[in-house]
Amino acid sequence: MTRFIRFALLSALATVFAAAQDLPKAETILDRYVEATGGKAAYEKHSHETMTGTISIPGPGLTGSLTRYAMAPDKEYSVLQLGPLGKAESGFSNGVAWEKNAITGPRIKSGVEKEQAAREARFNAQVDWRKSFSKAETIGSESVNGEDCYKVVVTPPIGKPQTQYYSKKSGLLMKTTATAVNPMGEVMVEVEVSDYKDFDRVLYPTRSKSKMGPQQMDIVITGMNFDQAIPAEFFELPAEIKALVEKAAAK
Amino acid sequence: MRRPPGSTRGKSNRYIRIVGARKSRAGGRAEWRAGCGLVGVFLLAIPLLAQLPAEQKQANLASFETVWSTIRDKHWDTSPGGLDWQAIHEEYRPQVESAASTDAARALMRQMLGRLKQTHFAIFPAVMYDVLGAEGGGDGWPGFEARVLNGRVIVTDVPRKESGVKAGWEVLQANSSDLPPLVANLQADPAIHELQLERAVAARLSGPENAVRPMVFSDETGARVTRDIKLLPPRGEFSGFGNLPPQPVWFESKKFGNTAYIRFNIFLDLVHVMQEFGDAIQQCAHCDGIVIDLRGNPGGIGGMAMGMAGWLVNETGQRLGTMFMRGATLNFFINPRAEAYGGPVAILVDGSSASTSEIFAGGLKDLGRARIFGTRTAAAALPSVITRLPNGDGFQYAIANYISEGGKALEGVGVAPDVEVKLTREGLLDGHDAVMDAAFDWIRKQKESR
Repeated sequence: MTRFIRFALLSALATVFAAAQDLPKAETILDRYVEATGGKAAYEKHSHETMTGTISIPGPGLTGSLTRYAMAPDKEYSVLQLGPLGKAESGFSNGVAWEKNAITGPRIKSGVEKEQAAREARFNAQVDWRKSFSKAETIGSESVNGEDCYKVVVTPPIGKPQTQYYSKKSGLLMKTTATAVNPMGEVMVEVEVSDYKDFDRVLYPTRSKSKMGPQQMDIVITGMNFDQAIPAEFFELPAEIKALVEKAAAK
Repeated sequence: MRRPPGSTRGKSNRYIRIVGARKSRAGGRAEWRAGCGLVGVFLLAIPLLAQLPAEQKQANLASFETVWSTIRDKHWDTSPGGLDWQAIHEEYRPQVESAASTDAARALMRQMLGRLKQTHFAIFPAVMYDVLGAEGGGDGWPGFEARVLNGRVIVTDVPRKESGVKAGWEVLQANSSDLPPLVANLQADPAIHELQLERAVAARLSGPENAVRPMVFSDETGARVTRDIKLLPPRGEFSGFGNLPPQPVWFESKKFGNTAYIRFNIFLDLVHVMQEFGDAIQQCAHCDGIVIDLRGNPGGIGGMAMGMAGWLVNETGQRLGTMFMRGATLNFFINPRAEAYGGPVAILVDGSSASTSEIFAGGLKDLGRARIFGTRTAAAALPSVITRLPNGDGFQYAIANYISEGGKALEGVGVAPDVEVKLTREGLLDGHDAVMDAAFDWIRKQKESR
């Protein structure tokens, strides 16, 4: 009887080993994503982008708009207008990550939060994913909304790892789970993306559904423009942020 | 001022809480049934009497499932109250299924919620909506504010003088309601909190704009005085927040000598109120002190407490407290403003200061940044939702737990003032607000001691 159990265990181990052998390397999956969405050359044709979209948080019934300006290699400025919460701005420029809103006022981000902002500001971060993550590992397969996906864990040099789910069939990213960090704490975020559309030969997901704790947030990208010139002042630090930078430097 | 088109009356039932479990009619019927057990005719009749219509029974069962699954899915703890919630289902569902009346089913659901030993979980019969939520049928207000002091409805402030009503007068009758018995009835129920009582009274003092309502007062001499009160358009501007219906929001700041006094009725209209709060603080950089009056303020957007605290705290790394939700723990962090005020801060509170008011006052008290004057707050800090159940009852449930920076839950406890001061009719008739007086005295002494 024990022999059968031993065989059964061997058989199970063999299955696990075979399954692990079947999984492609994370590098392959991440590089395939770049190819599946247009290829490195198509991405690198662009040096700046303006993205517009709508945002809704169904729980409290809030809706608004968002605009994100980005420029290579790592400048970013976003404006979110969310109904009664007013205007919320954030940016990353010259190594300073900041935000400003009607509730907390101007603030400079630091530590893991700053690293997170720097990663998000990196232009064409998908292509140069090796600059954002020091480690990538395929850990299994899982279905996302009926789509069979590879599960890839990517780890940044500073901060917590995130898990990305890539469709086995299309190579497209379907879902990401990560830990978002801000002064209110660390919150697990699950973001499902869909409705990939072609913007100047690069496919971008135009819908995302994010879950953060009990809250859900939906974003729809309505436009992506690579031709529109972005005024340089958009990437300059606002006066209040400059004052905070100077104050910190003086300490 | 006009309400935005298509909006509904700005009234939230957010703070309606459970009323004490009344003696169940089902319980009474069961006793009666036992007493008549030997009489054949009654034995035949009783099952018929005890039978709930199938539709109502189904509605009660559906209500039970709604209550149970809501707690399972939305309570901040995956084991609500440390209980085996599935076992609770197995225990209570058969009982609700065989409940002989809606009252009995409600009593069982209340008993189930009681096992959580947490506040803001309540079921109240539809009739309570009528008692506590009665409205004057409009947004008009009488131009004066009133509070319940020692069981009597007393005028505490008269921002609009047209009516000739004076602070300290007692309101005896409004909107055809005799207020003393109304107050006595509500106060007799220990489950009715001050916040709910004040809301019920305020509802009797409101009505359609421009309507003229006779109101009866007892003046400073004790004489019965009748005044035709023209109801005025509400103060401030209507502002909503997502699904929350628009409500009038006003903000005032003024100076008494070199001390600033800030008051606003609710934590809403975020952009404007935050701006006005910041402006008021910046204009007071060299003030002897700041008094922030949160009496009667029921709360609103929680984040505003963090933002306002940033104008009063200089040190980084501070927070007001922590909110625990399913899958998320949120620190109410304080981002100190470059122009934050560093002088004495007094916060005035009462039993109608709730939710965000408590988070703000409790957090700054715990940080040693503000001195609290008045009476204990409403003890209703948790964000909660009230929905209607399939059987028509109301169901309130909290979706988060909040612990103040001092490590204490505010829920069910409230913020205890550092200096307990009660408003009195005598003081008001004499032109004094005892709570304000105490705060201003303290600020004066702070200055003298510097």
